[in-house]
Amino acid sequence: MAHVLSLTDTRPQFEIDAPFQPPNSTEPPLPPLKSITTAPQTALVVANEFLVTLLRRCFEAEGYTVRIASNTDEGLRLYRDFGPFNAVIIEYDAPQCDGVKIDCLLPQTSGKNLAADILHIKPAQGIIFAAPAYRSPDDLSLPQELIHIPVLIDISIFQLRTLLSTLEVRRAIEALTVGDRLRLMSFARYRIRALGRAAYNSPAEDVLEDLLAEALLKTLTGDRRWNRDFPFVWHLKESMRSIFDCWMKKRENKETYLFTEISKPNAQGEESSPLENVASHQPTADRRLQAKEEVARIFKLFTGDTEATQVLQGWCDDLKPNEIRQKYGFDEKRFVSAKKRIRLKIKSRRNDNGGGKEHGT
Amino acid sequence: MALKTSHDGHQRIMNRLADSVFELSDEEILADGVDPQEKADRTSSVLRKAVDKWESENARLSNLGHTINPNKWRSVDGSYHNHCLNCGSSASFAMATGEMQGDALGGSCPENAYPIKRREASR
Repeated sequence: MAHVLSLTDTRPQFEIDAPFQPPNSTEPPLPPLKSITTAPQTALVVANEFLVTLLRRCFEAEGYTVRIASNTDEGLRLYRDFGPFNAVIIEYDAPQCDGVKIDCLLPQTSGKNLAADILHIKPAQGIIFAAPAYRSPDDLSLPQELIHIPVLIDISIFQLRTLLSTLEVRRAIEALTVGDRLRLMSFARYRIRALGRAAYNSPAEDVLEDLLAEALLKTLTGDRRWNRDFPFVWHLKESMRSIFDCWMKKRENKETYLFTEISKPNAQGEESSPLENVASHQPTADRRLQAKEEVARIFKLFTGDTEATQVLQGWCDDLKPNEIRQKYGFDEKRFVSAKKRIRLKIKSRRNDNGGGKEHGT
Repeated sequence: MALKTSHDGHQRIMNRLADSVFELSDEEILADGVDPQEKADRTSSVLRKAVDKWESENARLSNLGHTINPNKWRSVDGSYHNHCLNCGSSASFAMATGEMQGDALGGSCPENAYPIKRREASR
C-alpha cells in the first residue's frame, strides 16, 4: 500500500479567518482565540496515542497547530477553553476518560457524544470522525443529527487534506452574506445573458446554477486556487469569469476535423459533405445579427439619456471606466448614476419580457 | 449620438453589468429585487449541493480503499482526472454530472487492505 504519511507532499492550504459566525447568528459571539490559536490554523484532535501521532503529523504537515486530548472529557474541556478550531477530529472509539478500557463488543458512544456537545456549542464547527478500526462509514452507528459528519477511515494525509479543504469551503459558504450571495447570482446571470439566447440548449437558470457550481468545484479540485488574501466571494466571482471565458473561447474556437471523422453516411447510405460540419471561428451570421439587434434594443431604451448612452457606447467600445469618464467628461458620481440607470432599466425590461422576478439583474 | 456597435457589444455590456453588481453596497443589492432572501438561499443551496456531491464522491473512493492525492486533479475537457496512489486505477470527476467515474469505482483497492484488516482484527 502507499505510504500512510507523505510529509514530502506539503503545501500550505488553509489560513484561518476570524472565528466563524454564521450570518444573522443568534449565538452569542465566541470569545477570541487564545494563546495557541493565534496561529493561522488550528485543530483539536481527540484520539488515542497511536492515532494522535499520525494525525498530528498530518495536521502539522498542513501547517496546523494542534491541541491534543486523549479522551472526550478532556476534548470537551479544550474545546470550551480554546474553541472554535478550524477543524476538530474525534476518534469514533475515543474513551470518555483515561483509564477506561474500551469494550469493542459494545457500541461506542463517547465520540458521538463529544461531537454532539461541540455542535451544541458551535453548530457550524467542522468535525471529522476518525474511524481506522472500521471498514466503512456505514459501520458507524451515527444518529441523524451527526450523519453529515465526514468519516476518515484510511488515515492518510491525502484523505485528510480532501476533508479539510471541504470543511473550509463549507465554512466559507456559510460565511457568505446575503449580499454576497445575491451578487454572485446576479453576476452569473449577467454573464450568461452575454452568451446570447442561441448559445445554450439548457434553460438559462440551469446554466446559471452550473456556472456557480462549477466555480466551486474548480476550487475543490484545486484547479482554481483560492488566494486567502481575497474574500471567498471574490474568488468565486473570478472563478466564474474564468469559466465563462473558457465557454466563450470554446464556442468561438475554430474546430478542425479529419475527413474520416465527419464523412459519415446517412440512413440512405449517402455521404454528407464534410463542409457542412466544419465550425467557423467566427460567430454565425444569425448570431451576429441577433446580438446586434439586442444591442440596438438596449440603446433604444436610453433614447434621451445621453449619459447612459455614452456609458453603453464606452462599454461596447471596450473602454475602461476611467477612459469612459475621460472621453465623455463624467465625474465619478455621474458615471455611477448612469450605470445604475442602465442596470435598473435593463432589469425591468427583462422582467417585463417575462424573465421572471430576478434579483439584481 | 451616432452609434457604433459590433456583434460583441451585447456581450461587453452584459459583462460590464455583471462587474457592476460588485460595486453595489449591501443595502443597494438587497433593495435591487424581489425576495432577496430566497435568491440568496438559492445561491447557498447550489453551492452546498456542489460540496455535498464532491464530498460524497470522494467518500465513495475512500470507502473502497483508494487514496487520491487531492492536489493532483488534472482538467481535461470538462472532467478532472486522477489516480489511486496505491493501485494506480483511474478516477475522473465530471463537472457536468458531478459524478465520479473510472476503474477505481469498479472495486476495492487491491493494494490497500489496511482498513479491512483492522476491522476484521477488531471483531
